Amino acid sequence: MPIENITVGGCMAKVLYGVWDKTVFDNRHRQIFEIEEEERFSCFDEFDKGNPIRAFFGGHGFFVFEKSANLLSGLTQHMQRVAEESCGKCTPCRVGTQIIRRKLERLLEQSGTESDLDEIAELAEQVHTTSLCGLGQTAAIPLIEALTHFKEKIKEEMGQSAVKQPIYSYVSAPCIEACPSKVDVPKYIDFIRDGKFTHSMGVILQKYPMVATCGRVCVRFCEQACRRTQVDEAVGIKTLKRFVADHERGMIQDWFSAYTPAEKKDPALKVAVIGAGPAGISAAYQLLLKGYHVDMFEEKSVPGGMAATGIPEYRLPKQILKQEVSIIETLGGNIFYDKTLGKDISISSLMQEGYKAVFLGIGCHKGKSLSIPYEDAALEGYDYGVNFLLRLNRDYVDQGLPMAMGETVVVVGGGNVAMDCARSALRMEGVKEVHLVYRRSEEEMPADHEEIEAAHAEGVIFHPLTNPCRIVVEDGKIVGVELTRMKLGEIGRRGRRSVSSIDDSEFILSCDQIIPAIGQEVDTKTFAIDSDLEFSRWGTLQVDENLMTSRRGVFAGGDCVRGPATLIQAMEQGEKAARSIDDYLSLGRIRFQADERMGQLVAGVQPMMRDGVTIPVEHLYRVKVQELDPETRREIFEEVEKPISVDQAYKEANRCMRCYRVYSAITER
Amino acid sequence: MYALLPRLLSNYGAIGYSMKGYINNKEVSFESGQTILEVARAHNKFIPTLCELADINHRPGTCRVCLVDVKRESESEHHILPSCMTPMEEGMAVLTRTTEVREKQRLQVEMLLADHNQDCATCIRHGNCELQDVAQFVGLQQTRYSFPEFYQNRSRDFSSPSIVRDMTKCIRCFRCVNICRKLQGVDALVCREDGLAIEISPRDNMPLAESGCISCGQCITVCPVGALAEKDEIEQALDYLYDPEIVTVVQFAPAVRVAVGEEFGFKLGENVEGKMIAAFRELGVDVILDTNFTADLVIMEEGSELLARLKDKDAVLPMFTSCCPGWVNFVEKYYPQMLDNLSTARSPQQCLGSMAKTYLAQKMDIDPARMRVISIMPCTAKKGEAGRDDFNHEGMRDVDMVLTTREFARLLKREGVDLASMEDDSFDNPWMSDYSGAGAIFGNSGGVMEAAVRTVHKVVTGNEIEDIEYTQVRGESSYRKATVDLGEGGKVNIAVIHTLKEARKLIEQIEAGRSDLHFIEVMACPGGCVCGGGQPVTKHSYQGNRGMRTSGLFSIDKKRKVRQSHNNPMIAEIYKSFLGEPLGDKSHHLLHTKYTNRQLKRTSHSMLEIWQEIDDKS
Repeated sequence: MPIENITVGGCMAKVLYGVWDKTVFDNRHRQIFEIEEEERFSCFDEFDKGNPIRAFFGGHGFFVFEKSANLLSGLTQHMQRVAEESCGKCTPCRVGTQIIRRKLERLLEQSGTESDLDEIAELAEQVHTTSLCGLGQTAAIPLIEALTHFKEKIKEEMGQSAVKQPIYSYVSAPCIEACPSKVDVPKYIDFIRDGKFTHSMGVILQKYPMVATCGRVCVRFCEQACRRTQVDEAVGIKTLKRFVADHERGMIQDWFSAYTPAEKKDPALKVAVIGAGPAGISAAYQLLLKGYHVDMFEEKSVPGGMAATGIPEYRLPKQILKQEVSIIETLGGNIFYDKTLGKDISISSLMQEGYKAVFLGIGCHKGKSLSIPYEDAALEGYDYGVNFLLRLNRDYVDQGLPMAMGETVVVVGGGNVAMDCARSALRMEGVKEVHLVYRRSEEEMPADHEEIEAAHAEGVIFHPLTNPCRIVVEDGKIVGVELTRMKLGEIGRRGRRSVSSIDDSEFILSCDQIIPAIGQEVDTKTFAIDSDLEFSRWGTLQVDENLMTSRRGVFAGGDCVRGPATLIQAMEQGEKAARSIDDYLSLGRIRFQADERMGQLVAGVQPMMRDGVTIPVEHLYRVKVQELDPETRREIFEEVEKPISVDQAYKEANRCMRCYRVYSAITER
Repeated sequence: MYALLPRLLSNYGAIGYSMKGYINNKEVSFESGQTILEVARAHNKFIPTLCELADINHRPGTCRVCLVDVKRESESEHHILPSCMTPMEEGMAVLTRTTEVREKQRLQVEMLLADHNQDCATCIRHGNCELQDVAQFVGLQQTRYSFPEFYQNRSRDFSSPSIVRDMTKCIRCFRCVNICRKLQGVDALVCREDGLAIEISPRDNMPLAESGCISCGQCITVCPVGALAEKDEIEQALDYLYDPEIVTVVQFAPAVRVAVGEEFGFKLGENVEGKMIAAFRELGVDVILDTNFTADLVIMEEGSELLARLKDKDAVLPMFTSCCPGWVNFVEKYYPQMLDNLSTARSPQQCLGSMAKTYLAQKMDIDPARMRVISIMPCTAKKGEAGRDDFNHEGMRDVDMVLTTREFARLLKREGVDLASMEDDSFDNPWMSDYSGAGAIFGNSGGVMEAAVRTVHKVVTGNEIEDIEYTQVRGESSYRKATVDLGEGGKVNIAVIHTLKEARKLIEQIEAGRSDLHFIEVMACPGGCVCGGGQPVTKHSYQGNRGMRTSGLFSIDKKRKVRQSHNNPMIAEIYKSFLGEPLGDKSHHLLHTKYTNRQLKRTSHSMLEIWQEIDDKS
């Protein structure tokens, strides 16, 4: 074992030589122990346990960490992968990468001359400067830099025949890295561009089943990361996702009814999934695909969890959700409704019944109170945001039961739940005014920008920088809420400005209904029977990095682990937990995830990357989604956003710049 | 608020305010939003291009040949960028001919050739190939890279009677996809595989013959190379021409005579009918007929059918024309619920075939079994039409083979017949060669309608229509509507459509009950047969010759003494001595047809198959 791999303290990888973003590193003249340890390379110490990273190649350059690493072989392997990844549409990437890889393979096996190296450099430069998308534009950079700055090293290594070095390559893009589920966004957009909508769906369905739902309500981390924002506006990724999901609606039977998993699993390996929300559905879906027997237990009488009860009909029609969830039954899973954990079932009873693993995706449904005087959950006209949405969706929209509303409604909070409450309240009969009270400024509201704009357009009255300090009750009824004005202070440690109340600024806002929507927590009553589960200090379930709880075989994910978060995060945890459960049941240990590790390495080099769009790019503006006009939509719960046409989808898909980057790590084993 | 800023600026830009920049150190003015390529062209600066096709606003940016050196006003750095996709900016300095630019363009074409089946001498586009041109433009003198495995395994599809796909030659310009998707709205082509294997293929990797392709051949007219071409049947034609036992009967469509001259240096749109007749004689053709004659015949049948439908309360309306086989294929494949709306009249090509082997055989006392009817058509779909089950008589095909205009030109060249040096000659067949001006304009979009209006007006009102040139249905718009006043016969709402995208829109309106039309002419190709998929291709332009070809046909009409189908004396004769009357028994049997539902089943894939395909890709 080379000396530098002996772990001394918190060993950090040391760059022996390399080039990254035009900065050349060359420490070859020094002894390895003389090279300073740098914090920024700390992520490169080892790939998995006891497996050091010997070299790393990416879209901005390369690093070699070990003397014994063969640069030419690494570059050849990296370019082989690049050539395989080329989509083939543009000439330099399609043909150039293939010629380069053949030339490199020859150099490695049979040696070559100076002019061979010049020719490779010319081809690499051509691929780099003239390729159409991010993949080709960046793929040859390590090769170009190596030929420019470390040519003599490559010459030494020519003709030494291939020293096959273990290599792990990873292809990603900023949007993919930003997505909790790591959906291959450019790929599904590409399939839309190619007119292959089923394939586009296929890409997303590799991760999770609730595509139409995600295409409607996702918070779109991907669009925030989209490099197109540097040119004009982010690609309408969510809109495109909804487009394919709608276009391919009703295909679930065709796609999955004859599904047979690659490997047949022991029928005794039964899994119970508690909670049919986004996390549970994703976990069950992935487990069913892997061939396990899965039974789901849901407290309510409908599936979907927060997606069903917490998202109003006008953003996510129930019919869409229902159709999407039917995939569980199509794949042979069962969903048992009206089963409450802690009442009808317990983890222990399920284990006794023969379930070998349990996934908890029970959400985080208890509303947080405002903790102000005269607040009482039993007060008429007082309702937590989550409860309000639940009653509205289940009782009013689904079953047509009457729902008592006040004339003037005050919603407290600035998140999406608050927006949903406010916009839903507006649509209810008898409601004259809806006020939204938020303690910080409007810019700081965590809700989606579009949601805030829509609430404005529909007539919600905003009161930013105000905070409730007392509920005004007369004769046991709410008649108003006392608010205090707030002011913004310094930027605190978490990067947010502090807020404090302004003295003597209190005023009373008359109202007869208050909906606090400032957060939720896990209801601990659920675990009265299974009292051995550990909780975090935030009142959520404690899990390890594989999402296993403190009890063996019991896994958890979604809001009950993270606290109230987003649909996509819940679905990601469901998928991850399914992977862990599969490993746990089939191998007895949970495997190392190389892709996840590569994602960490990519995040590690992120601060060292300048990824700006530096060339002039034509402005192509984002598709404008048609909406019902605000006057109409105040009245009804029909879906506000209209679908886009096929032509619009082609056009929008064409805006994606495919910011793919290929990363390769050469490891010891 | 701030998010709106770029949009506002762009809107400002969209009204196109003037800017200044430099191309090769000369100041140029341009409008915001223009690409470097557009600005360069506007200032007569040539930049070699390959995938781009300005006429259809096609800029996929895939060939990467149109490279230029770009320096922005505020930067010192130079970039090599494709001019087709890069917006020209205020103060930008563009150099089109630096050594580096020329070298990079050259290397790009060298790489394109490494991935291209360079069997040039045998290629259908030899000498008329945009890739050959661009290799010359960039000064490529040798190709260093030859890897047959790069292209050998890509598909070659000979399944269709009309179109051959040879993906070993495809350069991935995506023009065909664009035409099929955006112009025709057929969307039959997608790309499959990736990397070197990437190719344009019918959906679900179906053979072209079984795919959603309707054989219009517009894709061929934009293909820069020989990746898409008509199915060449010249050998078959030669067999017929040189077989002494066979009586060869030739017909040629209206639009051929105003386009084939392009291949022999004639003026655009020049009518070379007389020279074609001379050339046919030179080739040894026995009987020379004109499809224009049966165009007149179709008007008699189709016009009568329309009137019958208008009189019948229960008849299906609107009625669509049925001369265009691409359109008929489209209805059969995509809107089979509209089959009854198609006129049952056969196309002029097929009417000629069936009349030749019955009426003409009788008149000329020739055994129809010895006859071979060869059509010269501006159309690829006609090849498929001639092979339809319904179109044979006593086991013989009505039309034995179809050559496109391009094949006809190649046939002449192969036989050493130079159209340009022919003396004008004229028809000598007394039964099926005369035509009216109405028949002649069948090759223009709107021509069938105009011809029908001339005859229907006379039949219903007893008087010839006053404005013989019914200009309401002329023009370039892809949807033209008019109302014909038939006096006591009422008013008939008519429309003329070309391109199938427009047809799709109209059908959807009809199905939604939002149409008051009675009679609709549809031609699949934009402009009609004059720009059919079998017509001479023009490099780097789409439909560049349409205007001249169109006016070529209209001027034939203008010069004809007889301009209405019903006044064609040979038409009077055929009804008198053979057919009886329009829609009569004989007509029904020989001049009408039926249609079949050929709707494509949505191929059902399991998600597992899709996933395998996706994962194979990565």
